[in-house]
Formats: sequence, C-alpha cells, structure tokens
Amino acid sequence: MHGRKAYQLVKEFAGSEKGHLKIFNDELLERVAEECNEHRNALQSLIRKMQEEGLEVQTARNADHYGALVHHLSLIRNKRCLMAYVYNRAEIIRDLAWKVGLLHELPCEIKEKFSDSEEQYFKDHSKSLKMYMSQLSLDVNVDMVPPKDPYIKVRVLEDLGSGIILSDKSANFASHSMHFLKRTDAEQYIARGLMEELIS
Amino acid sequence: MASGAGEWSAEQIDDYETLISTTDVELLKRAWRNEKASPEILPFEEALVKRAKEQIQLMEETVDDFAESGHDPLIASLYQMDLDRAQFLLRSYLRVRLQKIEKFMFHIWKMDTYRNRLSIEEEKFTERCIRDIGKYLEETVLSKLPDNYQSVLKQSIISEEDDMVPEPQLDTFVVAKCERATRPLYLDGSRQSASFDSRDDHFQMVPGDLCILRYRPFQEELMSGNISLV
Repeated sequence: MHGRKAYQLVKEFAGSEKGHLKIFNDELLERVAEECNEHRNALQSLIRKMQEEGLEVQTARNADHYGALVHHLSLIRNKRCLMAYVYNRAEIIRDLAWKVGLLHELPCEIKEKFSDSEEQYFKDHSKSLKMYMSQLSLDVNVDMVPPKDPYIKVRVLEDLGSGIILSDKSANFASHSMHFLKRTDAEQYIARGLMEELIS
Repeated sequence: MASGAGEWSAEQIDDYETLISTTDVELLKRAWRNEKASPEILPFEEALVKRAKEQIQLMEETVDDFAESGHDPLIASLYQMDLDRAQFLLRSYLRVRLQKIEKFMFHIWKMDTYRNRLSIEEEKFTERCIRDIGKYLEETVLSKLPDNYQSVLKQSIISEEDDMVPEPQLDTFVVAKCERATRPLYLDGSRQSASFDSRDDHFQMVPGDLCILRYRPFQEELMSGNISLV
C-alpha cells in the first residue's frame, strides 16, 4: 500500500521516548526512498502513455491523469514522512549539541544510534554554536536553570581524579565524594552525568 | 562647604548610576520575558545587551576586588549572587533567541523583516545552521529522491510557495501586561475606523492590566512597548 513504509518510519520516531533517539533506521529509509523512485517511474510512464495517445498532459482528465496524480501525491507524502523523520531527529541532535557537544565527545551509547551524516551534523552544529559564543565571548550554554545560590552541593558519580582545577579550587573528585562547588563550575559535569546535584 | 557640595554631587551620581543599572536590569528582564513568551523572534536589543555586558564585567571586577581584599565574605557572596542572576538573564535571553533561530531558520532567513532583527553574530549563526542542516538533509534523504523532489523548501518542483518551511504559530495566545495606556484595541486587531462607535468589542488597557490575547493582532503594541509579555 502506498505510503505505509514511510508511515512506519514516522511512527517509529513518534514511539520513542521524548528526547531519546533510537538507532537510525537506514534500511527502512532506503526502502521508502526506493518506493519514491518507483512512484516516479510509474508517474513518468503514465505521462508518456498520455503523450503517446496524443492527449494534452496539462489539461486531460482521464484515468491516467488521476493515476499519475496519485503517484505524485504518494511521492510527496513519502518525502514529507522522510523529512519529518530526519528533521525531528535533527532537533534532538541539536539539543544534544547544546547539552554536551560544546565541551566533549558524545558518549558511545548515543553515538551508536547516529548515522554517519547525523554524527557529522552534530559536530557541525556544535561548531556553529561554539563560533557564536566565541564571537560574543560569552558562554551561553551554562546557567541553564535560574540561579538560587552561587554554590551547590554535588556528589561525584564517576571517578574524576584530582586533575580538574575549577575556578577557585582543585580537589580530589573521587567517586561518591561530595563537594560544595560553584554552580557554574559544576554544571558542565552535571550535564554529562558525572556529578549530581544534591538537593537538601 | 565646597567639599560638602562635592560629596553631594558624587552621591547623586551614585544614585543616578544605581538608578540606571536597575532600569537596565528591568529592561533586560522585560526583553527576556518578551522573547521567551513570543512565538516569533523579536528585534535584537543590541544597545541593551552591550550595556548589560559592560555592567556584568564591572560587577565581576568588583567581586574579584572583594575576594582579593578579603572584604566581608557575606557582602562578596551577595554581589556574586546578583552577578549570577544578571548573567543568567543575559545568557538565557541570547539562548532563547538561538533556539528560535534553530527552529525557524529557513523562515527567518527568507523574510527580511525577521532577518533584520538578528544581531551580526546571530546572522552568521543562522547562515551556518542552514548550511549544516541543508547538507545533512541532502545527504540523508534528498539526494535519494527523484530530481523534481529534491528541494529543502518545497515539496516538489510544482509547488509555487515554499511549503516545507516550519513557521512560528503567530495565532497562539499570550499573556500580556500593560505598560502604557493603549489606544482602544479590538480583539481581532483591526484599527480604529469609522465604524468605531458601532462596535462594542473594543477595550483599552491601563498600566498593570493583565490580558490573555492572541499574539498576531498585538504585535505592534508589543513592539512599541505598550504591552509586555509575561
């Protein structure tokens, strides 16, 4: 049936948890693209047939015209579904670029869900954001929540060692240790899931 | 006496400066709220952002001075808190704008009215965004489609308008607060006309009024600063 595969593709995206990506479904996407080309071929052969019959393609309203129209509309619908799938994934990728892309490599659990061009897009977009910030000489990716107190209590979730020097001190950030840090310093580690904020 | 008069004027200058700084914070807050609540991108508050950045820098120096001189740490942390808030406001303002650009980049780029609302940096950012996503969509989908269906902006070559561009929904509802008394307004946004008396659905807002309005008809009121969004 026309458009069913494309619908499956969109449904797959819509079915995943909000803000989470599933593995890029290359296979289905290729199949939909193939279907598009089949539609195009069918469309063209119908138009050729009309021309051979000596009909004016623009104005003739016979069965072939409507056949061609259905192929055209199916093709457009498939395109919209494909674009919706890819574009909505791009939105999540951009969101990730904001959260982690500016500072660090992506964790591999997320990376393996990307297609190659998605990974490239992630890098490109992170670069664009970085460039904007360097032009402005202001980091816009910190301070994501309105500040209450300049200092927050955090617990280290993964061993970070003592190599990290924050703006006002350095400490041994061993796993499970608790610290009282400047919020701006801690935020980037919280975003990467290396620390968690302790809310008393 | 002369020196006394001098002190006075210095204090007056101080007063003046604090006044200016509070208003700037208020202005930034309002710009930020408007930007957050409005569905479309608003003109960039260039002068305001510049002033805010300068003041933040000044504050940073003050805080550093306090930290170095070992001044009362409580005062220092109060300054720090104030500084953090100002920085959050500025960053959030710029961030909201960037996110809108990401969402509606094609739309913003093709409409001059929107394009002129961007700062130079934002314009560059938009350009890069469009290039990047264009490349990405091309690689992933468009290059696999038949010739006449490869445009990013149009569904197919026979579409007369760009029918694949996400646009902001201007008919959404916003909560508006009145800053200055407005002229009589109509809910559908039509201007005062000859039939003014015959219509009874007009209303006038006075400062402090809160109304829930459709965004589109009241764009102008927002731009002129008569109302602000909450």
